[in-house]
Amino acid sequence: MGGLPANRTVNGFAVNPQDPKIMFAAMRDGLFKSTDAGTSWKSIGNELKNLAAVTIDSKKPNEMFVSTINGTIYVSGDAGVNWEKQQ
Amino acid sequence: MQKKSYWCLLIAGIWLAAPIDVLAQRKRAAAFEHVHSLAMDSSGHALFLGAHTGLFRSVDRGRTWNKVSLSTKHAHLDVMDIAADPKDPKTIYIGTHEAGVFKSSDGGLTWKQANSGLGGMDIHGLAIAPNAPSKLHAAVREKGDGVYRTTDSGAKWVRVDDGPQGEIKVLRSVNISTGMGGIFLYAGTSMGLQRSPDCF
Repeated sequence: MGGLPANRTVNGFAVNPQDPKIMFAAMRDGLFKSTDAGTSWKSIGNELKNLAAVTIDSKKPNEMFVSTINGTIYVSGDAGVNWEKQQ
Repeated sequence: MQKKSYWCLLIAGIWLAAPIDVLAQRKRAAAFEHVHSLAMDSSGHALFLGAHTGLFRSVDRGRTWNKVSLSTKHAHLDVMDIAADPKDPKTIYIGTHEAGVFKSSDGGLTWKQANSGLGGMDIHGLAIAPNAPSKLHAAVREKGDGVYRTTDSGAKWVRVDDGPQGEIKVLRSVNISTGMGGIFLYAGTSMGLQRSPDCF
């Protein structure tokens, strides 16, 4: 699981339903993406912090949602590259 | 003169919009207190959010939320994890801190407890198998702790494993073959991300 912050809590986790090797981990430190089933991870969405949960729309896997611990929702339409705060 | 009025209105609008946004966020945070989980139903229509104050549902992609009525028997339910059936958008499961697993077969309108065989009611993770949705795993804490499995959509649970180290925050079945006849379970925990075959 290289690339995830060591000894830190993983609060949320989601998997691309069409390619299960693509997965996302939501942490207080931010959002992390793996494309090799969790062997290696990279931080994405630098503005995202204090995350509690992440999910993927199974019909449109490029569409993703994260929530912060206090309930602010961010939406991505491009598989996590860009994020917009849901108003 | 008209131009001046336009700019005044625009500046006033921007000035007012910022506090309104902050107020909306504060209101949402107060309603949820602490978010635990998100899940989209398999039709992509309804987004569910599990929080310390219960279960919430949004049909406008997270802009607005309505609290879901779960049980008249329980005044307070802390919704720890959500598992949406990947093939049937009407079937949703939730794991609660106080009252075990609840199942809805009508898209979240009505709920029934599905706890037969569980050794405890404090559920910290709930995973549904993407290739066989009648198979779920539930992580139980405190009394009766361990990982439980059902193969009949929650009718009966059997304890199958001690579970990973640390406090489980989320549990997901991932459709990657173990090579031993099963797939992997991934657990987000207080000690990082851990995985194990689900064929224990």
